[in-house]
Amino acid sequence: MIDFVNVKKAYPNGTMALKGINLHIDEGEFVFVCGPSGAGKSTLMKLLLREERITSGKLTVGDYDLSELSNFRVPYYRRELGVVFQDFRLFPKKTVFENVAFAMEVVGTPRSKIVRRVPAILNTVNLSGKQDSFPHEISGGEQQRVALARALANNPKVVIADEPTGNIDPKMSLEIMSLLVKINKIGKTVIVVTHEKDLVDYYKQRVVMLDDGLITEDRVGGMFNEEV
Amino acid sequence: MKRYNPFYFIGQAFEGLFRNGVMSFASVAVLMSLLVVIGGFALLVSNINMNLEEFGLINQIVVFCETDATEAEIEDVGIAIGKLDNIASVVRVTKAEGLEQMKAEYDIYDDVDESNNPLPDSYVITYIENEKVPELDYQLNAIPGIAKVNNRLELATTIESFKHGVMLVFIWFLAILGVVSIFIIINTIKLSVFSRRNEISIMQYVGATDWFISLPYIIEGAVIGLVSSVAAYFIEWYIYSYIERLVLTDLQMITFLEFGSIRAVVLVGFIAIGVLLGVLGSVISLARYLKQ
Repeated sequence: MIDFVNVKKAYPNGTMALKGINLHIDEGEFVFVCGPSGAGKSTLMKLLLREERITSGKLTVGDYDLSELSNFRVPYYRRELGVVFQDFRLFPKKTVFENVAFAMEVVGTPRSKIVRRVPAILNTVNLSGKQDSFPHEISGGEQQRVALARALANNPKVVIADEPTGNIDPKMSLEIMSLLVKINKIGKTVIVVTHEKDLVDYYKQRVVMLDDGLITEDRVGGMFNEEV
Repeated sequence: MKRYNPFYFIGQAFEGLFRNGVMSFASVAVLMSLLVVIGGFALLVSNINMNLEEFGLINQIVVFCETDATEAEIEDVGIAIGKLDNIASVVRVTKAEGLEQMKAEYDIYDDVDESNNPLPDSYVITYIENEKVPELDYQLNAIPGIAKVNNRLELATTIESFKHGVMLVFIWFLAILGVVSIFIIINTIKLSVFSRRNEISIMQYVGATDWFISLPYIIEGAVIGLVSSVAAYFIEWYIYSYIERLVLTDLQMITFLEFGSIRAVVLVGFIAIGVLLGVLGSVISLARYLKQ
């Protein structure tokens, strides 16, 4: 599903953020990507989202070869992904329903389908009663669930979450992680970038540790290695 | 099948216009000024051309035949003129036709008829190059049967030079105001894009194409262009009517194009230029942003 083959990324200022990553993620896998600041996690995310191009090597996601992907094709590639950010990134002037629906409007989904699908997704993330609320009227955990619902709106194959629990309390963090596991169980490939040791250790999923632009550990059912 | 809601794009465009009201107003004001200046110069040049035509000064020489020339001699004059270089066309005006034209313009010819018509037959010659007119004038004077060559090159040249001067100033004004307008529209749209940068980044993450992101801003530019052109049309109309009244009172020999006869051309021209510049400003602004 996702293949990094000797992927290197150097920025114009000379910083070598990734120094030759080899990583294979199968369809339907759940992967934690961990590591200290400056390890290369953000760069790895940016490459997956095709915000940045790789400097050398080969990166493929499904049918898309990101090493060759033209700017014109990027939006179509991103429709295969669902993305969740630490800061939620919701539209403050849109309701919960509208925030989720927007992701579908952007790709030209007919209104009749939007009206049917959005309540179903909101139900999946336990937000059925909140569809008319605005983001400022709900808690941080609920806002992150809206972001998760939006990520699922276009039925993506891969869900990428960048520090999804960074802005919410521990109880809500568990709920968000449980939802991500639930999403994984319905067949989505889930990649979670996180610093949260307790969560990583609790869920015992595959853990990829990054340090100084290299993968230092890759274990299925692994733990957060604090020595890295 | 992909179906996009057109009201979404239009709504976003108007939201952007009002969110950056001051810049939108500045864009409309500058673009409107540009259009009024363009329109003013275009109308001035059109009026000069029309008056030149009225006076027969555009590349034309009139030659008068001898009053007692026979029909055969008059025809020979026409054939001789036709053989000269630098001639675009030769049109004969018979003495009867000449009289009709004079009667139409001057009351004193009312009592004149075929029997006492003092006018000679004439030829209206349209030439190609101004520079070769002295040579043509010399050759025409040498043709037997021609009594007079009416060559108003000097006056025509003076008016032509004035027209060229006006055109030169017009082109410079057009270039400077055009650049200023586009610059201001670019900045208006840039502000609009900047204030919505978070929304745009979300749109990009959920897979919105560049055209989906751009369309509201392009509509915003087009609306700025449209509002400017309609406002410019009414201002131009007012200024033109005012000058027309002023000039016609003092200089009755000058003919003015009626605004009513060119109303549609002015409005369509303004809308075309205004919308084009508005859209161009948006496209430049967005191309820079989306390229980042």
